Amino acid sequence: MRSGDFKEDYIKDEAIFQSVFVKFWLGLFFVFLVLFPFAANIHMLYIANLIGFAVIGAVGLNLLTGFTGQISLGHAAFLGVGAYASAILITRCGFSFWLSVPLAGLVSALAGFLIGLPSLRVKGLYLCIATLASQFIFGFIFVHWESMTNGITGIHIPPPSIGDFKFDTERKFYWITLVSVILAVGYARNLVRSKMGRAFMAIRDRDLAAEIMGINLFRYKLSSFAISSFYAGVAGALWVSFLKVVTPEHFPFLLSIEYLAMIIVGGLGSVLGSIFGAIFMTLVPETLSVLSDIVKEMAPGWENLIIPFKEVVFGFLIVGFLVFEPHGLVEIWNRIKKFFILWPFSY
Amino acid sequence: MKKTVFFVLSVIMFCGMLGIAIAEQLPTICAIHPYTGRFAFAGIEGAAAMQDVVDMTNEAGGINGKKIQYYWADGEYKDDVGIAAFKRLYAQYKPQIMFGQSTGMTKALGPEIKSRYKTLYSAYTFAQEAANPKENPYLFLPGPRYVDQFGVLLKYIAKEKPGANVAFFYSDTEFGREPIAAGKEMCKKLGLHFVAEEISKVGGVDLTTQVLDMKAKKAEYCIFHGFVSNPVTAVVKLSKDYGLNIKFMGTFWTTEQQLLNELGPLAAEYRGVSAYSFFYQSEFPEIKKIQEWTKKKYPKIQYRSQSYMQVYMSTTLFVESFKRADKMKGGFNKPENLVKAFQSIKNYDVGGLMPPVTIVNNSVPVGRIYRGNAKTRQFDPISDWIVIED
Repeated sequence: MRSGDFKEDYIKDEAIFQSVFVKFWLGLFFVFLVLFPFAANIHMLYIANLIGFAVIGAVGLNLLTGFTGQISLGHAAFLGVGAYASAILITRCGFSFWLSVPLAGLVSALAGFLIGLPSLRVKGLYLCIATLASQFIFGFIFVHWESMTNGITGIHIPPPSIGDFKFDTERKFYWITLVSVILAVGYARNLVRSKMGRAFMAIRDRDLAAEIMGINLFRYKLSSFAISSFYAGVAGALWVSFLKVVTPEHFPFLLSIEYLAMIIVGGLGSVLGSIFGAIFMTLVPETLSVLSDIVKEMAPGWENLIIPFKEVVFGFLIVGFLVFEPHGLVEIWNRIKKFFILWPFSY
Repeated sequence: MKKTVFFVLSVIMFCGMLGIAIAEQLPTICAIHPYTGRFAFAGIEGAAAMQDVVDMTNEAGGINGKKIQYYWADGEYKDDVGIAAFKRLYAQYKPQIMFGQSTGMTKALGPEIKSRYKTLYSAYTFAQEAANPKENPYLFLPGPRYVDQFGVLLKYIAKEKPGANVAFFYSDTEFGREPIAAGKEMCKKLGLHFVAEEISKVGGVDLTTQVLDMKAKKAEYCIFHGFVSNPVTAVVKLSKDYGLNIKFMGTFWTTEQQLLNELGPLAAEYRGVSAYSFFYQSEFPEIKKIQEWTKKKYPKIQYRSQSYMQVYMSTTLFVESFKRADKMKGGFNKPENLVKAFQSIKNYDVGGLMPPVTIVNNSVPVGRIYRGNAKTRQFDPISDWIVIED
């Protein structure tokens, strides 16, 4: 029986898998993820893929906002940059999907680097506005650089393939999403326990103090913007190859807000929180839709009331979580874990 | 021996069950209506329209005796939600026909509908991407493309005032921008002078700049596209305040009762194109039928919008396609049959809801100009049906 969580050296404290139990449960969860596509229908797989893209994007935003303390309202724009870069590389330059995804991430990282430049002079609400500008700048480019982006018509993209095997269904694409999520989450988890991750957190807690300690603000703030945008770019590139089409309307300002909501609801400054947030923000509205459809069938004639009510329920759920657990879903998860770790002496 | 008999019996039973399963696949329509979100005004009406046509058809005996199954979900006018709902409904019911909620959803799902789902498909859109049978035979429009609607309006202007100065006023959206380039080309062909291009957000409020620009460029006609009512009302009122002498026109989604109510005494200033007759045009038998049905089923409802008519028309064409395909080898469960059946529709009488329907390039390129009536707050037809030929 475990009755505490004691570490005797820093290596143990920094370990990704803190105990055998963590390894066991993660292993079990991995088995579930591998078996999932064999049992799920196309709708469940579609949602699973969407959750995967949201996880990658949310982890990226959490690195910037949760870990480095730089608020960004332009995350959807970076998703768009990645999506368009990938689509253009595939359709115009003849690149394969496999090469286009990391390159799209790099293009998006470069965009993030440029948009992050104001962060050296402004912070807080002012930085919000500066990043918000990226939403409009890139939105304008997506629509008006017609020779590259096809304007409002958008770009159709062939599905990824290896030889003759095409990843053209939700089930096949799931494997690409799963591997990408594991790589993205694994890298982020490692990053936050590295020198760079500690520098991010020092900047978040007090940038002046961090600078006095010798942390190069210029380098780390811009690195954070670039890495966050890289994640967004990869998420956008995957999304666009999954949907097989990209248009400017896929990246509205509201999407940036949704990503912010994901990391706030999930838990700021936590990789696991990003995952929880992405799952919550994708799965809960979908579950509410399914439930409202069922209720609608049971109470014909009441559609007008029942269907819009799901939005109200979703709103209350978000507010409820924030009121009762301001540290996000990850804190609830931590409390549940502690309960079992300390059981039966959890006092 | 016993094993062989058992195997043969099993195969026969399996084939029999499979046969029954295939035989019992009923005509099924699934729809994603934008029941909430900013397009809810159309989604709520559309959901009712589809239900009404299905109920009317089933009451009259269904598709050669087979009752139509109809299932729908709310897509919130968001592409990701709509696509998820599409996949959910498809996985659950395997429909032969689907109806989507927007242009974006149609574009996103188009390639998969062609390669995987193979369902006859239409949506709350008149985008040209959904009317290209060479590219995708499964998608269709139950009316004229936005480009065709511009064509109807421009033809009318060219006839009323040859060489007139025309301005386009459109929303800064994918939907708003779609017919603009083609509209400019049409102006050239028809000998009209395209003088101004004004862009606004949907629901834009401060429109003085755009109105003054039209005044400076001496626009005589202004065509709205990509809006529902705002900012059309604001532009018309502001133009009167600034003393502009412009005739205002608009495409399908603007040509709606709500706009006339908002314009009030200025209702006569607006003229718009629509592919369908209005709810109050009881001289048409199909409209009369809708009125009676509405009175019987929804006694509190006094009016059905043009969105209702659009989905009513789509579902009518779905039903007709089902009927025709049912007579073909393989029936309506064979996707190609449904496409063939749909494309074979020619001079099909829809009781005045539209003129007799002929499918051309998976659309119905016909429209009529209506003018607002300030007294009755209704639209009066001021042209006959105008057919657009490429």
